[in-house]
Amino acid sequence: MFSFNLQRSGSMKLAMAGLMTTTLLLSACGNNNAANNEAAATTAPAATTEATTAPAETAVEQTVTDAMGHKVTIPANPQRVLASYLEDYLVALGVTPVAQWSVTNGTMEYLAAELKDIPTISYDLPLEAVTSFAPDFTIVQSEGTVQNGLYDQLNKIAPTYVLGDEVSKDWRKSLLKIGELLNKTPEAEAAITAYDQKAADAKAKISAAIGDESVAILWLVSKSFFIVDETRSSGAVLYGDLGLKLPNLVTEIPAESRATWNPISLEKLSELTADHIILVNSDGADAAEVTDGAIWKGIPAVKAGNVHEFGRATSWLYSGPIANSKTIDDALSSLVK
Amino acid sequence: MVSSTRSNLNPSKAAEDKPIKSRPVAAATILVLGSAAIVFGLMLSVSLGAADIRLATVWEAVFRFNPELSQHQVIRELRIPRALAGALVGACFAVAGAIMQGMTRNPLADSGLLGLNAGAGAGLALAFAFAPSLSFMYIMIYCFIGAAAASLLVFGIGSLSHSGLTPLRLTLAGAAVSAMLLAVSQGIAILYHLSQDIAFWMAGGIGGANWTQLKIMSPWVAGALIGSLVLSRSITLLSLGRDVAAGLGQRTRLVQTAGMIIVVILAGAAVSTVGPIAFVGLMIPHITRYLVGVDYRWIIPCSAVLGSVLILFADIAARMINAPYETPIGALIAVFGVPFFIYLASKRKGEL
Amino acid sequence: MNRTLSVPSVKSRRTREAGILTLLAALIVIIFIVSMNTGFMRLSPLDVLHTLLGEGTKQQKLILFDFRLPRIVISLLIGAGFAVSGSILQGLSRNALAEPSTLGINAGAGFAVLIFISFVPATTAGPIFVLPLLALAGAALTATLIYFLSYRRADGLSPTRLILIGIAVGAGIYAFQLILSLRLDPQNYQFVAIWLAGKIWGGDWRFVLALLPWILILLPFAFYKARVLNVLNLGDETSKGLGLPLERERLLLLAAAVALAGACVSVSGGIGFVGLIAPHLARRLVGPRHQIMLPAAALIGALLLLTADSIGRWILQPTEIPTGIVVAIIGAPYFLYLLAKSKA
Repeated sequence: MFSFNLQRSGSMKLAMAGLMTTTLLLSACGNNNAANNEAAATTAPAATTEATTAPAETAVEQTVTDAMGHKVTIPANPQRVLASYLEDYLVALGVTPVAQWSVTNGTMEYLAAELKDIPTISYDLPLEAVTSFAPDFTIVQSEGTVQNGLYDQLNKIAPTYVLGDEVSKDWRKSLLKIGELLNKTPEAEAAITAYDQKAADAKAKISAAIGDESVAILWLVSKSFFIVDETRSSGAVLYGDLGLKLPNLVTEIPAESRATWNPISLEKLSELTADHIILVNSDGADAAEVTDGAIWKGIPAVKAGNVHEFGRATSWLYSGPIANSKTIDDALSSLVK
Repeated sequence: MVSSTRSNLNPSKAAEDKPIKSRPVAAATILVLGSAAIVFGLMLSVSLGAADIRLATVWEAVFRFNPELSQHQVIRELRIPRALAGALVGACFAVAGAIMQGMTRNPLADSGLLGLNAGAGAGLALAFAFAPSLSFMYIMIYCFIGAAAASLLVFGIGSLSHSGLTPLRLTLAGAAVSAMLLAVSQGIAILYHLSQDIAFWMAGGIGGANWTQLKIMSPWVAGALIGSLVLSRSITLLSLGRDVAAGLGQRTRLVQTAGMIIVVILAGAAVSTVGPIAFVGLMIPHITRYLVGVDYRWIIPCSAVLGSVLILFADIAARMINAPYETPIGALIAVFGVPFFIYLASKRKGEL
Repeated sequence: MNRTLSVPSVKSRRTREAGILTLLAALIVIIFIVSMNTGFMRLSPLDVLHTLLGEGTKQQKLILFDFRLPRIVISLLIGAGFAVSGSILQGLSRNALAEPSTLGINAGAGFAVLIFISFVPATTAGPIFVLPLLALAGAALTATLIYFLSYRRADGLSPTRLILIGIAVGAGIYAFQLILSLRLDPQNYQFVAIWLAGKIWGGDWRFVLALLPWILILLPFAFYKARVLNVLNLGDETSKGLGLPLERERLLLLAAAVALAGACVSVSGGIGFVGLIAPHLARRLVGPRHQIMLPAAALIGALLLLTADSIGRWILQPTEIPTGIVVAIIGAPYFLYLLAKSKA
């Protein structure tokens, strides 16, 4: 028998892969949606341009080595920073990016307020579009984004630093690294301290409210479910920083086969014993097709009415100081009654 | 002229000239054993799945269904529709292939190879693009339209030329129409930002089948299958050649049109439910013909049964081969289908 | 043969041929200029001119010399490569429907590259020069496989069987690609998916350098062998009668066609139909003599691909449509038209 059939169909992985890349992990695409978080209290200051001028007198040009071994010379005081998909960190450090990450049908909606007037750039960094923004420093999140010569071409437009998957899977390391690159180490450290304080407070409150009840984070997109484990985005926040208990289905996934987003079949989902479900619904009203079904309604947490639904515009699928801070706000509002 | 040929070619004479070999005993055996295999396959398919459910519980869910138990719901809502859909589409693809092979006298006919599956896919892409969140009924109808357009293109091209529908011409037209319609689907997907929906469907597989789809598709499929049985005698005659069939007083154009409509419905319904699966319609009719002879009154029902068996067990295998994950069933079947195709193509003497 | 025709007619034919080649070259130049002006950033023809003369801004230079030009040059090279490869294959098989993609050669080359990408992490620098070699190996293996599967002692190499087996082997390779691509992580999968759809992704002078030697050697080689192709077209008996070492010449030409297709696929992914359409149009315009037909096909192929690439870049800005999709939508109807007309 298949105790770990994580996929409704094998081809789902293919579809999943296609999906992930078209939407880059998150259908940030939304027009409607519920659960816009009202608690916008974040640790980070809103993006302001004056912040970039602050350390001007101490700044010098620095040469660093990035994750792929490139020697990168960062201008003394970068004014036009492009860091697609890393906007969260820039905003947290008080740096305004020249353009913001986007897919064909959306952006990082949870940052909509902070990035209100920032033009968008496609996730795959079309070279001419990059050139048109005339960045003076580019940060790229993953080695995979710049394979096959793209790095060299980006580097011709502006010095380009590849953060690398090793660093970028840990938001604290990413923030410190970006802070270091942009001469904003104090700001980065302050943001982390503030976040840790906030997390500690929230942890106490939540543990008082629900004890050691387990919480599952499910992402519903195109009528398929993905379960979030403890290594990424909101999973790292809930299970790591807030110390919540992992649900049975995540602990059953062998560690080596855990992906960022583990697809989970409805059939397997019927065995979910978690006490609470955080449902990140990217399907909007179409979700009813699944959530009205007998199987979804038969899940214990659903029967008990412990489903907390969040829409596409929330930060649950993202990672970064601001995203995580907003995730904590949402967790508090839904788990602490 | 016509009357003279007709007197020369009465049915019994035709049978003498080219005896219609059929083996009713073999056919009956296939029908009985095949049906038994389908029942066994259905039971096996229902018993296997992601959730660890005991066999006793499975049968309780089937015969003493209790809506309060989530395990029963899993059996009822997920596994049974999946198994039934597998059996149904297997019959669809196989019979569609059998009819096309018989009518065109083309041993390489198959809804996947002749572009019908790609046509249904393009229809689906159009449906997603212009009318999002359609009900399954309309999605299926768009698939019918796409498949019909593809078949018109392929067969139209074939019959436009002097030498008619040679297998080579048909296969090439099928490959080209497939390539074009696939490109159209991809273009639409990019244009309307549908990559995810279409990718999900293209890779869909049988796992996504549900009762709604089954309820909507089964009357169509049942009607088409009955229609194919009604037509089976005429198809046998057509398979002897259009001239022979016409000589025997058959209205060949009518039969061909009816046959194509049936094929389009079968392929469209199957593709809208499980995505494009090729080679079933190629292999099964050949195997059946080898076993039961050339009479389509036996070939069609036996193909339906064997097609069901093939898809049911291929689906089970697809779930077992790479256990936590599922292998795409289309690729799995192609692994057998391709050598079969090569065997057929190289078996033919001289120019095809 | 044609040589014996009266002098004036040869002369007028020569003029006509030269005229057509010139016309094709002129069209390429025009599309070339249009293509230089096509893209996300607005560069007016005047800007382009200034930049070409070395007076543009840094941005303009970057866009023109580093992003647009290499891609244009690659399109031209690939188009010519596929076209000549298709011409040779059609000449060899005496079948108007032969081309690298119908014969499954593109699929084989693609599969080799896919295997490489799946097992070598994307971060490794410099696979650019390895890719053509790999694609070549894949193409050669597939060609050999198809050759053996369709060869029969009784009647040798039947062209129709060759094509049918090619389609079947292509389908089989596609099935394996599907299974293999399921094991890729999403980043790589995206790359492979787009590449398989035929997107010219190597927008870099290094790709031009990787591709150029193949084109520079194999195209002249094919032109040099044009006479052999002419003779082969007369049929095996005649060729033998004319004292041609039949099997050796065939093998050499086949190797050249496969190598051209392989090298092109490694840079462009699976682009079909170019190798089919270009030789046809060339034959219609300048007749079947390979000495003139091959260069004409190369020019038409280059023109076709450059146009398709420009359309793909322009039509849905800023989203790009992979060139392979554009070519298929233009090319498939033409293929069907040929099919309807052909007698084979």
